[in-house]
Amino acid sequence: MACGSTSLWAGETTWFCCGSSWGPCGSAGTGACGTCQSNAHQAAWPNASQACFDITRPDLCGENMARRGCGSVMNVKHQCSGATVCVTVADCGPRTQSFCGESTCCNGACRTNRVIDLTPAAFSVIGNLSSGKLPVYIYE
Amino acid sequence: MLIVDLAPLLCGALLAVTGAAKLLGRRTAQVAANTVLVRVLGDGHRAVAALRAVGAAETAVAAALLAEPTATWPGAATAVLGAGFTGYLAYARVTAPESSCGCSARDEGPIGVRSFLRAALVLAGGVLSTVAGTAWWARAAGEPGWSALTAAVAAGAVAALSTDLDRVWLPWRRLRLRLFGTPLPGARGMAPVEASVELLERSLAWQASAPIVRSALLDHWDDDGWRVLRFAGVYEGGRRARPVSVLFALDRTATVDSTPHPAVRVSVVDDRTEKPVPVDLLELSGLREPLPLV
Amino acid sequence: MTNRQDPSARGLDRRRFLTTAALGGATIVGASALGGLDPDAAFAAPTPSLDPAIARSAFAEGRITAIKGSVLEVAGSYGDHHLIQLTNATSVWKLRTTTAEAINVGDGLYARGVDMPDGTIAADAVWVNIVNLLCTVRGIAKDRLHLAHGGAGHAVVGRIVPQTTTASYLGGALTSDLTRVRIGQSAQVLGAWRPEDDTIDIARITVGH
Repeated sequence: MACGSTSLWAGETTWFCCGSSWGPCGSAGTGACGTCQSNAHQAAWPNASQACFDITRPDLCGENMARRGCGSVMNVKHQCSGATVCVTVADCGPRTQSFCGESTCCNGACRTNRVIDLTPAAFSVIGNLSSGKLPVYIYE
Repeated sequence: MLIVDLAPLLCGALLAVTGAAKLLGRRTAQVAANTVLVRVLGDGHRAVAALRAVGAAETAVAAALLAEPTATWPGAATAVLGAGFTGYLAYARVTAPESSCGCSARDEGPIGVRSFLRAALVLAGGVLSTVAGTAWWARAAGEPGWSALTAAVAAGAVAALSTDLDRVWLPWRRLRLRLFGTPLPGARGMAPVEASVELLERSLAWQASAPIVRSALLDHWDDDGWRVLRFAGVYEGGRRARPVSVLFALDRTATVDSTPHPAVRVSVVDDRTEKPVPVDLLELSGLREPLPLV
Repeated sequence: MTNRQDPSARGLDRRRFLTTAALGGATIVGASALGGLDPDAAFAAPTPSLDPAIARSAFAEGRITAIKGSVLEVAGSYGDHHLIQLTNATSVWKLRTTTAEAINVGDGLYARGVDMPDGTIAADAVWVNIVNLLCTVRGIAKDRLHLAHGGAGHAVVGRIVPQTTTASYLGGALTSDLTRVRIGQSAQVLGAWRPEDDTIDIARITVGH
């Protein structure tokens, strides 16, 4: 567990693809920071910039996470298994406002709203891609 | 007839738009890649070149229709284009039904009725244009009201047949669904396997087996009201690490909505000896709460 | 070891044996374990003993260029190459839980596993052609959904697969009832890309607002 231990936020994470890739990912591009790759430990943050915030609008769900721009390092921990992965912010996302109120729980402890998005490489360290979303704690 | 004299204008406008989009569009290469042209010409680059050439032809014919409406040859050329499109669509539909039409600059789905109707419109428009007697600008000046109406109806017909403008139809589609219901399937009896896995992943049993489980869902089956989910794992207790199967059994009708705290039976079986491995999972994962001292 | 989807007597016998073992296992009922409310305490809590294998978790992404026995040759999207070793302990996902026989050359793949000394990756889990797209529902037909994906509204066709496609309505339990999908909704579509026609078989559609 190299990167930080100061709690930053908590919520749900999903996963997305970016960069050169097969299938629909081929048209995804390298993300808002221009460096995103599916095989790197990277993440999308809903408040990577003002322009980003205006798309994701996490505040509409009551989530007012701090601005963390491209290159910010975070430590994402799966609430259920305790597995962690260190990621670098490389894109803008997820679209929090479209899924307000959605929650994922682990043994009764629930995390609500989509607050971070991980590349397949990062997500598969802490969970199964076929699960779709996980409840996580985020540290820096 | 008004429609005959206006045909060169309407066809010309349509072909000018589609032709320019093919010739100058940024997505022509992507569109070409999805069409049957690639297979016919054997090469993606030739397909793009072919599509751009068609675009150039369309633009040229459009210019002729607009400038020389009373001459016969622009109409004939349009009719030939229309016939050519229809033939190409028929060939593509028969040999590669899932390929894209390539007809317009934006993305399109497989070739359907609409594509054929569009080609037929071009053909019909071309035929009408050959018999146009009066120039369209004279006709439009003479009968502005009817001309505008005809143009509007024609534009509406094109829009109806064009998938690019699908978002225009959104409110009508919604209305249709509201009136006639949704064609999608409804719920069946027991919970789908995915729902059982979802329930498992939210349970204490899953949390407790995290140190051992390595794979995603390996196998599943139902037995007498139970759903059994099997995962692969590695157990490190004792002398050495050994490959194991981790089995979870839960009520196959249970979901996260019906049973927030499911009772899950967990067992760990050694893959080589086929014997159950006695392991206290709660203890292993540090989840067993110490009993309070009295 | 048995072939997982093998309906033969040997396969059924093993399942029966495993069912007996499963039902004989300890029952764990969720009650209150880790509080889950205080992230700092949760962070400090003893992490389940990390098997060194997890710490070394290897990842591969790319298209399958050849299948040699139980080894997949994968060409990564950045010019890298991988050899993925499948075993009886490797889970295979291709729209649903399936076996290695379902994998074809030309399929896309993500794999998680462990780096082996011989340069291969011994896979724990393989996800074939899996995609997770944020879309807007543009049209509904009997066996497919017309979706718009990404900022440009790129059109995607999502196929409804009988007995397989499920839906979740704003985080509700996954259900086979698809009747509450509406045009204009945001939807997260988890599915399997089909290389042959560039459509998606939908495994689950999570509907938002």
